Amino acid sequence: MKMAALCSEFVDLVQIKKQLISVISLCKERGLLHSAKWASELAFALEPLPKDELPPTSPLTEEDAQDLDALTLAKSYFDLKEYDRAAYFLKGCRSQKAYFLYMYSRYLSGEKKKDDETVDSLGPLEKGQVRNEALRELRVELSKKHTAGELDGFTLYLYGVVLRKLDLPKEAVDVFVEGIHALPLHWGAWLELSNLVTNIEMLKSLSLPDCWIKDFFMAHMYTELQMIKEALQKYQNLIEAGFSKSTYIISQIAVAYHNIRDIDQALALFNELREQDPYRIDNMDTFSNLLYVKSMKPELSYLAHNLVEIDKYRVETCCVIGNYYSLRSQHEKAALYFQRALKLNPRCLGAWTLMGHEYMEMKNTSAAIQAYRHAIEVNKRDYRAWYGLGQTYEILKMPFYCLYYYRKAHQLRPNDSRMLVALGESYEKLSQQAEAKKCYWRAYSVGDVEKMALLKLAKLHEQLNESDDAAQCYMLYIQDIFSCGEQLEHAEVSTALRYLGQYYFKNKLYDEASLCAQRCCDYNDAREEGKALLRQISQVRDQIETPSADLFAPLSNNNTPVRRVSPLNLISFTP
Amino acid sequence: MASVHESLYFNPMMTNGVVHANVFGIKDWVTPYKISVLALLYEMTASKITLPERRRLNKLILPLQQGPDLTLGQFLKTVEECCPQTAYAVKLRLHEMADGELKDMEYFFSTLPTPFTAFDTEAYKTSVVGLFMRHMLLAYNKLSFSQVYKLYKSLQHYYHSHYAKPMDGQVPALVADDSEMDLTSIEDTVGDRVDKEELDTPLHESELQSDNTPSRGPLSQKQAEYFLARQAYLLKNDENKALKPAALQEELNNMLKFNPDFAEAHYLNYLNSMRVQDIFLSAHSLLHYFDRLILSGNDGKSNGDEGYGRSLRYAALNLASLHCRFGHYQQADLALQEAIRIAQESNDHVCLQHCLSWLYTLEQMKGSDSTVLTEDSVKMAAHFCLPYLASLGIQSLVQQGATQGKTAHKLMDALKDTDILHWKHSLSELIEISLAQTTSIWRMYGKSTMSLQQAQLLLNMSSLEPVNFGVQQNNTEGFAVVLCHLAELHAEQGLYGVVSEIILHLKEQFPPHTQHAKLWMLCDLKIQFERHMNEGKYHLAEPLVTAIAALNQTEGLYRKAQVLKALNRNTEAYHILQQLQARCEKAKCTEMVIRVMLSTAELHWESSGFSTALPVLLQALALARQHHLQSLASETILHLAFTQLMLGVPEQALNVLHEAIEPILAHRAVMDKGRAMLLAARCQMAVAGFKPNRQGQAADLRLAASALDTLNEAAAYFSQLNCKERLRDVHYLQAQLHRSLGQILESNKSAMLFRLLDQELQSPAPPVSMRL
Repeated sequence: MKMAALCSEFVDLVQIKKQLISVISLCKERGLLHSAKWASELAFALEPLPKDELPPTSPLTEEDAQDLDALTLAKSYFDLKEYDRAAYFLKGCRSQKAYFLYMYSRYLSGEKKKDDETVDSLGPLEKGQVRNEALRELRVELSKKHTAGELDGFTLYLYGVVLRKLDLPKEAVDVFVEGIHALPLHWGAWLELSNLVTNIEMLKSLSLPDCWIKDFFMAHMYTELQMIKEALQKYQNLIEAGFSKSTYIISQIAVAYHNIRDIDQALALFNELREQDPYRIDNMDTFSNLLYVKSMKPELSYLAHNLVEIDKYRVETCCVIGNYYSLRSQHEKAALYFQRALKLNPRCLGAWTLMGHEYMEMKNTSAAIQAYRHAIEVNKRDYRAWYGLGQTYEILKMPFYCLYYYRKAHQLRPNDSRMLVALGESYEKLSQQAEAKKCYWRAYSVGDVEKMALLKLAKLHEQLNESDDAAQCYMLYIQDIFSCGEQLEHAEVSTALRYLGQYYFKNKLYDEASLCAQRCCDYNDAREEGKALLRQISQVRDQIETPSADLFAPLSNNNTPVRRVSPLNLISFTP
Repeated sequence: MASVHESLYFNPMMTNGVVHANVFGIKDWVTPYKISVLALLYEMTASKITLPERRRLNKLILPLQQGPDLTLGQFLKTVEECCPQTAYAVKLRLHEMADGELKDMEYFFSTLPTPFTAFDTEAYKTSVVGLFMRHMLLAYNKLSFSQVYKLYKSLQHYYHSHYAKPMDGQVPALVADDSEMDLTSIEDTVGDRVDKEELDTPLHESELQSDNTPSRGPLSQKQAEYFLARQAYLLKNDENKALKPAALQEELNNMLKFNPDFAEAHYLNYLNSMRVQDIFLSAHSLLHYFDRLILSGNDGKSNGDEGYGRSLRYAALNLASLHCRFGHYQQADLALQEAIRIAQESNDHVCLQHCLSWLYTLEQMKGSDSTVLTEDSVKMAAHFCLPYLASLGIQSLVQQGATQGKTAHKLMDALKDTDILHWKHSLSELIEISLAQTTSIWRMYGKSTMSLQQAQLLLNMSSLEPVNFGVQQNNTEGFAVVLCHLAELHAEQGLYGVVSEIILHLKEQFPPHTQHAKLWMLCDLKIQFERHMNEGKYHLAEPLVTAIAALNQTEGLYRKAQVLKALNRNTEAYHILQQLQARCEKAKCTEMVIRVMLSTAELHWESSGFSTALPVLLQALALARQHHLQSLASETILHLAFTQLMLGVPEQALNVLHEAIEPILAHRAVMDKGRAMLLAARCQMAVAGFKPNRQGQAADLRLAASALDTLNEAAAYFSQLNCKERLRDVHYLQAQLHRSLGQILESNKSAMLFRLLDQELQSPAPPVSMRL
């Protein structure tokens, strides 16, 4: 039913297209470049309109006509980043459009000055004091107009931005919601709002206008809040509703797949995206992360060179190059490029974490800790930074100390097996076997990515002489390895088989034991032992041949939980 | 978010990348305040000042130069106190600059006496003043064009913000006519002014918080350091004077917002969270601090003594102590082992020593015997010349020795030796602990006078800590312990008014949420309990038991048994006592064992099992003597004498009693004195051959008369404590004695008193003979 409702909303793609075209021109007139870009991308994905269907340009009011010259002049200054000059010529204009541009140029002028000041400050005393001086004045003026009800959608958006910059998130949320109601098609306002929503409860409590754009917002929010399944569903619906050609949606889906570590899906989507939009730089850092994880050197190299040709001074480009060097084990250069990315945008979270990883590779633990700490400062919920800190302290041989960090990471990603395995390893080092077992088992239960948890659990049981549990774990491990199909480098099937063979032999299950021993012979490192075990089995069999098989029957019945998984299953496995 | 952006530019790691604000390596920055100081120095060299005034000014220079930035008002006031004339000159000079033009400031800097030219003045290049001036000149010359302009603007702000509010008298008049020369005035000045006024009216509460008022704004490095040092000092020595936890937290958050790299703030945050027992925040801050510390200490880049390896070790050690404080012994153990391992790997003996001392503390807290560990620790600490750790170890050993019955003179000798060490190294904390420990030990041995004397010694000792923050009395654990002892000692003497005053003081000094508050809480409860028990108000004592048990389980159980015994629920009481004895014997808690034995013996009496009580009492006596617990020994003797009296050997009882009566009268509580006297009287009566209800048969009138005296004395003690039940017994005996002596008038009087008390108490009197 929900689907039906959604489709009916989207029936009128033509209407949507019209809306988009009109909002694009509105945004452009006001210098809101990113919103215009987003809307244009989306409009491009829809069928072109016939000539007579094109929406008429909005009629000029009397005020607009009066301000037209000043506005045109100011807009050209604005486009050349001469904000103060633009503001000067707009002072006194009475039309809404001019007013917005006036306030917006004042805001941007303040921001620009703030950035310039930072470099030129008067020492540490002033360090924290650098701030956008215009903000407070803007706030006073806007709040006056706000109470008088004179703000339109765009000025409300600006008011919200000012409030957010002044660290007044609650007020900002209210203003953004109001602005969205006034002008639902302005994507910038939605995006700003998404930065302020911290949890799902808050999202649900917001009263948002029922517009097709809300679906885009919800999908975006679900991705942000790590509710990937819901996000994917939303995006799927949008594609089915007619936005199948939108590069925005494709990139968002790819990012979502990246977040749940469905690497192949994500890679496929990114490749599709590159085909459709070869000069795109947005999201390419995520793409390079995927290539890195898959160790696809040529592809990453191609991507890096391609992006450098397009624009080498972009954060994304720098991250891609950093990843490229990292994959080539040139960690100093990688760190250099991540630093460059941070210079371009210090709020770039991913780069801090990646730089931490590079320093870790260079064994410069203190610098790594610094980088990770910075990442956490930017975003406290960055589980990779917490995990990285944990790893750093693990390298420094402080297993107890790193527990705290791993726990933090685990808290943020409760269903990520890597943190659980790391926790388990630390507990094991601290001889807290009970805790370690729990961690490994949980890691297996939530879906082990690296397929290491079971092996570790089995070894732990082996150490503690809990042979039944160990055997069961090895059994599960073998099943797990073979069922996932691909060959893993660190797979220790031979270890598992060897142990299982011995275990069955001890429990006098000779058929199973010999099966395992035979399998052992397929691996180089276990071949000799396999053969030895086979010999032993045949010896013992010769001896018990003479008594009767009756003795054997009860033995195999009263056996351990291992019996639950039939060892004969091994036949189906092809190593 | 923004702070990250800014901090990037001060990030040591990014030096080779970003334009570094501190790129010239200048530590000092020219600030408006520094300009004022320069102006002062200039005036001092330029003008003639009388000698006393010059002396006062000279004394001022160093604190002004090195202290945190002051506001202009504070600065001028300080100078004015020394020399009003110079203060005026400085003010004038600043006024010239602030209300003039940029060139006036430039002119000021150019007229400053260059230390290189002036050889004969105070501003010679190697003098303190000269160095400061050179620093400032250098810093000023390095400023870029826009920075100079900014400095000038901030000077104007600095100057005007002083005169804007407080006095509208003379100086604003000077300001007014110059306003059109103001560089800042752009064409629409009027509109701007209006806006500014509106800006200053608080729009919203949250707006106020982000407001840039001086107290809330960013602190300079020095100010921040001073603030942190002061607060940390106060937290350690006198928590009540420090900011309230919430306020301090807010300040710290503010500081960290502007300066996220300020690692020490995280440490203070950790201390602050410990105050309110917030494990999450304190662990978080502690780890954050050490993460930051590792960064700042990465010059060495080695794992050796100086590099960040050192802070790693201490990080683990601090984590251990954190878990220890919160009672997570297993966690603490793991962290400690980690610290020990890393310290061993890098051969850091000092750190290892610290670890060892924590190890024995941990063992002690877990309740296991750690004497051997402690002894090792002391030996090693002495070897590595760590007097603090060594004497801390000795103190811990003394404590263990005292509970295990080491001979008194050895303990006292050890304490005396460490005291010498403390005074030698001025370890004032340890001196306090040592005094508190002596107080406790004397009290344990039952020497209340000595204990009282030691307590007073500590309380009246002027602290060795510098009292520059107005801290007269510290609120360390030692003080809490001593004050509790003081309260209990006074309670024993029945001086409840004094007790309530002491408890009130404790409450103020150690508010309930603080670390040592449990000490006085338990002490307060114990005193109340004793008081109710003495007055026979068992129903009031009963609810206190739960509270005591919450603070100290053993003590709670013991008190519960006592209440049950008093309410004649003997079986239950007996069970609890048995349980308690087993537990205390395991924990080697001798004092409690003896007390439990005494209570058990009392229970035997209730069932007239006097002969069964004897072995228990003898065992208790042996234990008490072995551990030199004089007070408990005399208490035991009292019990023994009573048993003997009941067994019909009053002469023996009297003999035994004589042995104990002296220490009891000297050291024990009023209640015990009364009981001892009552018992003595009864023994005397028994020896005198007095039998109740038989007239005129007293064989020995002299003894009977002395028994009467003793009874009077006992009555005096009991009435002091308002212990009516026992008073009733005394009156009963008095009446009988008087009657047997033929003193009918006195007999009737005593009988009347008895009757009055009996009516008041309502509860049926237990047989007089049956209790001590």
